[in-house]
Amino acid sequence: MLVAGVDVGARNVSAVILQDGHIVASGILTLAGEGAVASREAITQALKKTAFAFADLRCVVATGCGASSVPFAHRQSAEVVCQARGTFWLLPSARTVLNLGAESSRAIRVGASGRVEAFAKNDRCAAGSGLFLETMSRVLEVPLAEMGDLSLKANGWEEVSSICAVFAESEVISHVHRGVPRERILAGVHKAVASRILETLGKVGIKSDVVATGGVAKNKAVVRELEGQIRLGITVPAEPQLVGALGAALAAQEQVARS
Amino acid sequence: MIEEFREYRRRRHQAAIAWKEENKGKVVGTLCCCVPEEIIHAAGMLPVRILGEHEETTEAALHFSTNLCPYCKSCFDQALKGSYDYLDGLVIPNVCNMVKAMYGFSKHLLKIPYIYFLEVPQRLSGNGVDFFSKELVRFKESLEGFSGKEISSQALRYSVRVYNENRALLRRLYDLRRRSPPLVSGSEAQELVISSMLMSKELHNWRLAQLLERIQPRNDEARQGIRLFLSASVLDDTDFLRLIEECGGMVVADDMPMGSRYFFGAVDPRGAPLHALADRYLNKIACPRKMLPQARLTFAVRMMKDSNVKGVIIHNMRACDPHLYEYPLLKEKLESEGLPVLFFRGEETETEREQQRSDIKAFVEMLEG
Amino acid sequence: MVTSTSARKALKTTLEVPTLRRSYYARTLDESQKGKKVAWCSNNIPSEVLDAMDVTSVFLENYATVIAAKRLASAFCAAGEKVGFSQDVCGYARMLMGYILARDQVPEAPYGGLAKPDFLLVNSYSCDSRLGWFAAMSRALNIPLHVHDAPHQPDGASDSAINADYTERELRGLVAFLEEQTGARFNPERLRKRLDLSRQTSDIMFEINELRKAVPCPMGSADMFTAVWPAMYMAGTKECEDFYSKLRAEVEEKIAKGIGVVPEEKFRLMWSGIPFWYNMSLLNYVEDFGGVVVIEGFYRSRERRLRAQDDDPIRDMALSSTRQRGWPATIINSIDDVLDAVKEYRINGVVLSFNPSCRLSYVSQMELQRSLEEQGIPTLGLECDMADERTYSEGQVKTRLDAFVERLLAKA
Repeated sequence: MLVAGVDVGARNVSAVILQDGHIVASGILTLAGEGAVASREAITQALKKTAFAFADLRCVVATGCGASSVPFAHRQSAEVVCQARGTFWLLPSARTVLNLGAESSRAIRVGASGRVEAFAKNDRCAAGSGLFLETMSRVLEVPLAEMGDLSLKANGWEEVSSICAVFAESEVISHVHRGVPRERILAGVHKAVASRILETLGKVGIKSDVVATGGVAKNKAVVRELEGQIRLGITVPAEPQLVGALGAALAAQEQVARS
Repeated sequence: MIEEFREYRRRRHQAAIAWKEENKGKVVGTLCCCVPEEIIHAAGMLPVRILGEHEETTEAALHFSTNLCPYCKSCFDQALKGSYDYLDGLVIPNVCNMVKAMYGFSKHLLKIPYIYFLEVPQRLSGNGVDFFSKELVRFKESLEGFSGKEISSQALRYSVRVYNENRALLRRLYDLRRRSPPLVSGSEAQELVISSMLMSKELHNWRLAQLLERIQPRNDEARQGIRLFLSASVLDDTDFLRLIEECGGMVVADDMPMGSRYFFGAVDPRGAPLHALADRYLNKIACPRKMLPQARLTFAVRMMKDSNVKGVIIHNMRACDPHLYEYPLLKEKLESEGLPVLFFRGEETETEREQQRSDIKAFVEMLEG
Repeated sequence: MVTSTSARKALKTTLEVPTLRRSYYARTLDESQKGKKVAWCSNNIPSEVLDAMDVTSVFLENYATVIAAKRLASAFCAAGEKVGFSQDVCGYARMLMGYILARDQVPEAPYGGLAKPDFLLVNSYSCDSRLGWFAAMSRALNIPLHVHDAPHQPDGASDSAINADYTERELRGLVAFLEEQTGARFNPERLRKRLDLSRQTSDIMFEINELRKAVPCPMGSADMFTAVWPAMYMAGTKECEDFYSKLRAEVEEKIAKGIGVVPEEKFRLMWSGIPFWYNMSLLNYVEDFGGVVVIEGFYRSRERRLRAQDDDPIRDMALSSTRQRGWPATIINSIDDVLDAVKEYRINGVVLSFNPSCRLSYVSQMELQRSLEEQGIPTLGLECDMADERTYSEGQVKTRLDAFVERLLAKA
């Protein structure tokens, strides 16, 4: 039985294909243009790694902020539910999921059975998100993928205190002009991002094991900062950007199993 | 039949003007449900709750900053835009920093002939009821001065009876929501309550009694929505309740001023009317401003259990201090009762709507799973 | 990011305040250890009554400004937010909730922290938001809370016997609560003595404020925002009266010698609203351009306090507070108050601080600014939280101040 889950986010579309409960293919595309086209493309490209075609899919479930733009989805499932489902499947001891996305982050508390107990979102403030880190990448002229590693080399950090992303940007620029080493500034940026993220997390309560998903989870410095601030270890799956799509695929599987 | 009530609300300004012409009477607006409307009613005037509109507060934005109660701002915006030009009077109670400020702002910027500040005390016990009774005497005398007519004790007793009847009818309505599925939806219930705040009470009593006699169980899909409790500060945006219904939820009970807080708790018909009014309006409204959080919590939790709800949505208007301060306590209590909570900090903007939709859908899915 | 902090003072006497303040807090800790009952209070709780009953009063809003002045407020605010208090609510409240509920997440509190409270006292008039805050503290600390109520009287002074009567009952209720908590009996004479001293002190304060009208201005807001402190928290003590006598003498001396805050005044400003406690040096910023912030709106009084209204001190307090109101409770009175100050103090421009979490002051500022501009008075609005410096952008503020100064100098 072949099913697919597709996660249409603010920045990327990801897809996971399950065959009889195993992941057989997956893929991530940068979102350019319509969600409908991109989501189909993401699934098709993933399927290329298998012997199957689009028509072989028994069920497709869509999630993410653009889920409603996927016309071929049999149903939609909420992001927090998919994040919880996907994480729990990968790590059954997970009790708190921190989904760190491009535009927003969410904290999800998961019960022992894998069900969502509570969730909170931070979509109001840009300063805790992937887009903010992208802006910092531009301002500091450091590739996004290298920011984490570079930051971890720093000797101390330069305070980035503002709550507002706009103010923070001008603060960072003033640090650059003062000649502060980029690693130090980055360390301060990552500290601030972690604090913003934790404001959301605080609303659901933190319980071990804590798992971070989404694009921003790939930034080692942010994860290290979060660990320091909550005084707990955080697990990051090998492919943190696929967890939502995985959860959606699991929902698709469940749907077929039930029918 | 419910459509009629919804329609009245939509046409409330024209309806109030029509009432004025027909009755040659005065219309007096209120900004909070702790104003004893019975006294206004006994004066032969029509008390109406001032409401905002779901639109850009372009006029109010010239006089008020952003981090302020969106409800008051929207009401004031409507007044500046001329929607309330027919208003003869306005009664503003001593409830919170923003509402208190509305007194001065109304005198400063609006042309309402009669504006009264009602001194509602914080003291709820003996001394407080005593003071509030005396304040109600002053209020009554002020209204008499404004209308040119005496307000008799008999008229007050009559108004208390009419209002108590309305409260009883609304209680019956709310009881129908306890059934599974509820006989009226959350949005319908709010329309009925809000229309009571706008219509002549006698008319509302008559129409609501008729509705209650004729109401039949309906078994449409919407009514199967997951049973929810709504705890809110001022939420006059009924579209929010409709949104919950669209997302597969159904509000079957509430703790909010545009809901149960308006009519729960009757006025004692025995004894001196002004004293009885002082007692009811001080002691029987479970509002954060009363600083009796345990009473409010007990009331809310009992309602939740009676209505068999699966989860709670809390909607606090931004900058609403009385509610925001009690929120951590409310959340803790609900979680200890095993009730999941979804919290919204309301702003009444368009972008907010889509965020709310996705959150409510996630919450419903979470409760169903 | 804030680069500067405390204001440069023009008067020597003002420099004594930090010492007075430090010894005040030390005394509260000491008294607490010696077994005196400690009350955590909101502003406007009449400390004279507490003093007369040997109850140690600790005013929380002031402690919050101390934390802010020491640049620690943001950490305290963040802790308060973590335990569930929205960013919308009063910065002071968030800070204290953080201090109480998240002690391990906040820096070390100034002056060794606050004396442990036995009960809480909050008053309902002026600021309503405090009620919710104090109720939350009462729950968190599991100690009694007494609410001290009074009629709002938005239109100002009132002759109403009903209002006075209720106020009196509330005061007697406060006394009864204190008697119950301390086991001591209230002695009216002790209160009478303190009220007399308190009145004398406020007379001196009033005179100082009148003297500040002089040109050049001998004492500006940079001094007064600090110098007002003893009157707010040590009212009715000899120490307090002595301080203001000294302050008045120094102001008189400055006037006699023609010494102003700035040698050559180019423009005179008024500050409306709460200042930014983490950056009081903003008040000195205009001095380099020949400007001086002469007077502040928030703490000044327009008239001398009423004389004793009754022999019974409680009845006296009740009558005095209903027959005379210290602060403008409506936008109309606020505008009127500022226009009066502009005239009396020969003000050329008004700086208005918009503190989003202080609902009480915030609600009026926009309309106040608009009305002043309508009257042809140049204004500058600065929007930042009064305690939480995460909301502050120094670059932006200085740019706007520069533009304002330019506008004023062009007009001069």
